[in-house]
Amino acid sequence: MTSAEPRSAAHGGGRVVVFVYGLLALAATARALAQIATRFAEAPLAYSLSLFSGLVYILATVALARSSRGWRTVAWLAISVELVGVLAVGALSLAVPEDFPDETVWSQFGAGYGYVPLVLPVVGLVLLWRTRARSPERGSG
Amino acid sequence: MLVLTWIVVALCLALGAWAAVRALRDQAVILRQLFAAGAVEAVLLVQLLVLGVLQARGAQVDDGVTLWGYAISMLLILPAAAVVSFLERTRWSSVVLLIAALTTAFLQYRVLVLWSA
Repeated sequence: MTSAEPRSAAHGGGRVVVFVYGLLALAATARALAQIATRFAEAPLAYSLSLFSGLVYILATVALARSSRGWRTVAWLAISVELVGVLAVGALSLAVPEDFPDETVWSQFGAGYGYVPLVLPVVGLVLLWRTRARSPERGSG
Repeated sequence: MLVLTWIVVALCLALGAWAAVRALRDQAVILRQLFAAGAVEAVLLVQLLVLGVLQARGAQVDDGVTLWGYAISMLLILPAAAVVSFLERTRWSSVVLLIAALTTAFLQYRVLVLWSA
């Protein structure tokens, strides 16, 4: 089957990916809000990053669940930001641990979340790639 | 508190195992599983109530905000899986239910740690 239109990423196995994204969005955002509400001054950088990562996960969840071209672009961007984020923050949290006195979702490459934050963006990008629009002349893969 | 935690964990593991079996057999989530998930939700609500009463009576918790964050977040996970099981009538809904059940069980553990801290 060939199609010029992208298939929805959010069906079949893709639905599982979207669900796990939703879980991570909930976990990161709720945790960041709790941290900011109770003890923002202790680790402003870590808690701000927590909130930022939570918002990116929410955006990625919504974008993956929709199939229009615009939303797919948003998904590509959001998931790329996640991958860069988990790699950068993971490395920084090991290099300068004093700036990260408390955990964020991305600290230690997401070890506190079973490395799901490290694996998930890769899975998300693969999913977007496999459900991309294919031009008929190139045939189906 | 402890009893309720173990009840939820046991129910979640049983529900997760049920979902895993159906996923392996290439079957989608069925209504009876959603009733089971509803039973877990009922226990979670009782737990929320007990948590509130114990705290109102002066039980001390180190990090109450995070504890309540977990307790409330936990309520959302199985219903979200239920929504997916209506949208996705394939084995993948069973996989989602499995993940939801295991996550709920894990959050119970986190609540227990925070509570006994």
